[in-house]
Amino acid sequence: MPFDQALRFTSIWLAATSFIGLTLGAGLPEWLTVLTGAALIVALLRNAGRKSVERLAGSMPISTIGWNLLVMLGFLGFWVDMLWVSGDLLPAGIHFLMILMIIKLFTLKLRRDYVHLYAISLVAILASGSLTTELWYLPIFLLYLFAGVWTLLLFQLTKHSEGTQILTMPVVVPPQPSESVDQVTPQLFWLANGLALATFGLTVVIFFTIPRISAGFYQKGFGENIRTSGFSETVNLGEIGPIKRDPSVVMRVELPDGAPHEVGRFYVRGVAFDQYDGKTWTNRLNYRRNISEDAIGTFVLRRSRLPAPPALGETIRQNILLEPLDTPVLFAAPFAEQVSGTFPSLQSDLIGSVYLPFPSSSRIEYSVRSRSNPVLSTDLDSEPILYPESFIRHFLQIPAQSDRIATLAADVTHTQRTTYEKANAILSFLTHNFRYSLDAPLTGQDQPLEEFLFTRKTGYCEHYATAMVMMLRAIGVPARLVTGFLATEWNEYGNYYVVRQQDAHAWVEVHLPHSGWITMDPTPSSIESVGGGFPAWHALGRMMDTLRLQWGRFFVQYSAADQLTVVRELKAGSTSARNKALDSMSTLFSPLLAMLSGVTEYASKWTMRAWAEVLGLALLSLVVLLWLVIKQPWGQGIISKKTTHNEQFIVQLYGQMTTQLARKGISRRTTMPPLEFVRFTQERWSDAGSAVAFITALYCRARFGQIPPTREELSLAEGHLRNLTTLSKS
Amino acid sequence: MNPTETIRSIQENIARVIKGKPHVIEMSLVALLARGHLLLEDVPGVGKTTLAHSLARSLDCSFKRIQFTSDLLPSDIVGVSIFNRQKQAFEFIPGPIFANIVLADEINRTTPKTQSSLLEAMSEAQISFDNTTYPLHQPFMVIATQNPAEYHGTFPLPESQLDRFLMRLRIGYPSQEEEKKVLDRPQSLHPAEALQPLLTAKDVLSLQEQVDNVLMEDSITDYLLTIVQRTRQSELLSLGVSTRGALALSRAAKAMSFVRGRTYCLPDDIKELAPIVLSHRIMVARAQGVRQRSCEQAERIIQDLVDSIPVPV
Repeated sequence: MPFDQALRFTSIWLAATSFIGLTLGAGLPEWLTVLTGAALIVALLRNAGRKSVERLAGSMPISTIGWNLLVMLGFLGFWVDMLWVSGDLLPAGIHFLMILMIIKLFTLKLRRDYVHLYAISLVAILASGSLTTELWYLPIFLLYLFAGVWTLLLFQLTKHSEGTQILTMPVVVPPQPSESVDQVTPQLFWLANGLALATFGLTVVIFFTIPRISAGFYQKGFGENIRTSGFSETVNLGEIGPIKRDPSVVMRVELPDGAPHEVGRFYVRGVAFDQYDGKTWTNRLNYRRNISEDAIGTFVLRRSRLPAPPALGETIRQNILLEPLDTPVLFAAPFAEQVSGTFPSLQSDLIGSVYLPFPSSSRIEYSVRSRSNPVLSTDLDSEPILYPESFIRHFLQIPAQSDRIATLAADVTHTQRTTYEKANAILSFLTHNFRYSLDAPLTGQDQPLEEFLFTRKTGYCEHYATAMVMMLRAIGVPARLVTGFLATEWNEYGNYYVVRQQDAHAWVEVHLPHSGWITMDPTPSSIESVGGGFPAWHALGRMMDTLRLQWGRFFVQYSAADQLTVVRELKAGSTSARNKALDSMSTLFSPLLAMLSGVTEYASKWTMRAWAEVLGLALLSLVVLLWLVIKQPWGQGIISKKTTHNEQFIVQLYGQMTTQLARKGISRRTTMPPLEFVRFTQERWSDAGSAVAFITALYCRARFGQIPPTREELSLAEGHLRNLTTLSKS
Repeated sequence: MNPTETIRSIQENIARVIKGKPHVIEMSLVALLARGHLLLEDVPGVGKTTLAHSLARSLDCSFKRIQFTSDLLPSDIVGVSIFNRQKQAFEFIPGPIFANIVLADEINRTTPKTQSSLLEAMSEAQISFDNTTYPLHQPFMVIATQNPAEYHGTFPLPESQLDRFLMRLRIGYPSQEEEKKVLDRPQSLHPAEALQPLLTAKDVLSLQEQVDNVLMEDSITDYLLTIVQRTRQSELLSLGVSTRGALALSRAAKAMSFVRGRTYCLPDDIKELAPIVLSHRIMVARAQGVRQRSCEQAERIIQDLVDSIPVPV
C-alpha cells in the first residue's frame, strides 16, 4: 500500500478508535453516534477509492466557507447545549468535539487537516479515558496506540518539504516498480507494530514502577455510587423487591481458601433489624461505637472467646472488593470477627453490623475473617429459657395487629419441643407452603405480612423472612431480620463470588440459648436462575468478569501504596520473592492461562510461566527500543528524510544505476563526488555516459537541491536505466 | 536574460581576450559573485592583468588600476587630504580604491605598510581617514596580481592578509594552439579595450544576492567542515584553515553552483574549489623540506587531503 493511502487509512482508524472510545465511555446521543459513524464510513470508502462515493462527496454543495460556517454553527450549538440541553460543560464539549470530527472527516485535504483530526482524536481518547475505568478501554486504547504509532510514522514519511501539499483523495500511484521504497513494506509493517508494542510494554513497566502522584485535576470518584436499598436504619417491607432485577455488580467476594463446601449459596451480611411496626423494620440498636484497632488497618470485632468453646464454627476468610455504594455498611459473611483494610476508622452497632464513617465514593478492598455460629448439641434438646428484659424488648417485639400470626405460629410449632425444632418447623412451613414471586405488589398494603401469609401466599425474601421472625417471636423465640446479599454466582476462574444488586436478600437470625445467633433462611432456594442459555456463554461471561476484576484491582486501583510495596519487596531482595508487579500481572493473565491449562492440563506450571512471559515481553520491548535507538535505521535511510515519492524513486534509480555500473566494474570510491563519478564513468564506458549523467543530475537535484524530479523526468530516467541494463548485457 | 545566460555571456566575452583559460575565467566570476577578492599568482606575462582588465570591462562599472611599486604610499591608494584655500578647510581627495573593481597589480612589490592599507579596505569595504569613514563603492572587488614569492624584489604577504582573498588562482601558460591565436591577433589595440560591458553594477549586486539563496544541504556543510578540520589536524601543515576560510569555501561553493546554473551545491563544488580557496590560507610545515610558500606544494597537499575524505552521496 502506498504511504499516502496508508496514512489516510490509519488516520481514519485513529479517529474511529477515539470515536468508539467516546461512544462507549460518554454515551453519545444516538443521532450523533450515527452521524459520526456514517462520516467515518464515508471517509473510509473514499479512501478505498470508491468512485461513486467520491463523486457523491465531491458533489456535496458545501464550499470551504460553508464548512467554516458549519463550524461556527456547531460552536453556537455547543453553547446552547451547555446552557440548556446537557447543562454541563463536559458532555457539551464532547458533542462539539464529535461535530468537529465529522466536519474534519469531510474536509480532509491538506496535511494540516490531518493534524487537526489527530488533535481531535487525542482529545476524544483522553476524554473517554477520564470518563471510564472499564476494562473495554484497554483494547480500545491499544488500538488507538497502534493507530497512533502508524499514523505518526506515516505522517513523517510522507512529509513534503513544503508541508502544505495536498493529499488528494484519489490515489495517484506514480509509475514505479513494485519494490519501490514508498510502499508499506513488510519491514516497515513490523517496525511500526514493533514500535507500538514496545511502547506499550514500556508503558506497562512504567505503570508499575514509576512513582505516581494521584489527585490530578480530573481525579474524581469512579462514577455514581450504586443506589441500594435495605441497608438504611429503616426499611419498608417490600423495598428490596424492585432492585431484584438489577444485574449491576455490587461487590466481589474472593475466598482465598477456595470454594466453600456448598457452592452457590453464600450469605453476605449487611445490617439487621429488631423492630417491626407492621410495615417497616427499624434498627433501634443503632448506636455506633468505634472498633478498636489491633494493628494498623486491622479491626477486631469479636475476640475469640476464652476458653474456646469445643466446637467453634468454621472460619471463612474473604477478600471483598466493594463497589461504591450509597451506604456506609461494610458487608461480610456472618459473623465478622476481624476486618482489615485501609480505613481510618470503623464502627459497629450492637446488632453486629460494621460501618465505614461515611459511604466510600470509590471502590474499596478489604479482607474479613468471619466465623459462623454452629448449632451446639446442647441446644438440640434443651427447653426454652427466660431472656433478660432488654433482650425481650428488642428481639421479641411484635406489632399490635398480629394475633392471627401468633395463632398460626402456635399451630405450626405445637408438636415441637425445643427452640431449634420449632424454628425448623416454621422454616419448612414457610418454605413449602408459599410461592416465591417478585411480582407480588405488597408494598402498598396496610398489613403486608397478613396479606402474604393468609391471602396471596406469594412473596419474596423479605416477606418470608419477616413472616418467620414474627412467627418465632410470637412463640417466644428471639429472632431478627437481616438484610444483605445471597451470592450465587461463583467464578471458578478467579475463586470469587460476584454479588449483584439482584442478589439482595433478607433472611433470619434466630437466637438459640447456647449457640447464640444462627442464620436461617426461609426463602425457597429455587430462586429463578441467572438466566438460561448456552453454558459456554456463561463461562465466557465469568472469564470476562474475572478480567474486569483484575483490571480494576491492578490497574484502576493500583496506587502509590502498591508501588511502595513493590519497591519495598524489591529492596528486601529475597531472590525467591516475586515482586508484586509481576505477581499482579500474572494474576491478571492467569484466567486466560487457566483456560489454556484446561486444555493442556499443566495447571500448576502456568502461573510461573505467565509471569515469565510477561517479564519476557517487557524485556523484549526494551531490547527492541534499545536496538532502535542504537541502530537508528531511520537515521540515514528512508524513514525520517523529508522525501516524497519521486525523491524516493530517483534515489532508488540511482542506487540501481550504481549497481549496474559496479557489475561493469565501475564502482564509485567513497571520496568521489557524484559529478566526478560521472566523468570517471564516461572515461571508462562512454556509451553509458549520457544515461549516467542524466540520472545523476536528477539524483543530485533531489538529494542536495531538494527539488524532486517530475514524473516525466522520472520516466526518462527509467528509460535511461533500461538502456544501461541492455548496454551492460550486450 | 536569465542569470545563467548572463553569466555565460560574460564568460564568452572574456574568453575572447583570454584564450584557452575557461576555468580561470569562471573562477574569477565565482569570486565576483561570492563578494570575494581574487589573487592571481603567476609568473609575469601570462595575462593576469589582462584577465582583471577584461572582467572589469565586461561590467559597466568603475575600474581603477594601481601599479604597486616599492615606493608606493598608503595615501596613493586611499586618498589624501588637501587644504582648500577657498573653503579654508582640508578636503579629502579619494584615492584609486574608490572604484568597483580595483586592480592591484604586483601587490607584493610594495611595502607591507602600503599592502595593509589596501587589505583593510578589502575586509571592511570602507576607508577611515581623518576620523571620517568613507564607504567604498558596491560591488567592490580587488583583483590583485603577484609574482611568485621566489622572485626578487618582493615583500611576501603575510597569511593573515592572504586570508582576505577568497581564492588564489594560477593562470598558467596557454597551450601552443591558444598561444598562436594570441599571436595572430592584431596588435594595434589592447584586446580588452574592445570588450563591451554586459552588466551594470546593480545587476552584479542582484546576482550576488541570488547567490545567497543557493541551498547548501546539511551533509555538504558537514563535508566542508570535515575538510577544514583535517587541515587543522594534518601533520603536513603548520597552520590550518581558519573559520573565515571555511566561510569563504562555503560562499565560493554557492557562487560556483550559481555560475554553473544550479540552485544548490554539490559535493563536487567543494572538492573542486578546496585547493584554490584553501591553499593560500595554510602554512606547509617546515619539516616537509620544501620552501614554505610554494604555491603548487600547498595546492597538492589540499588536493591529497580532499581525495582522502569520503563524500556524502
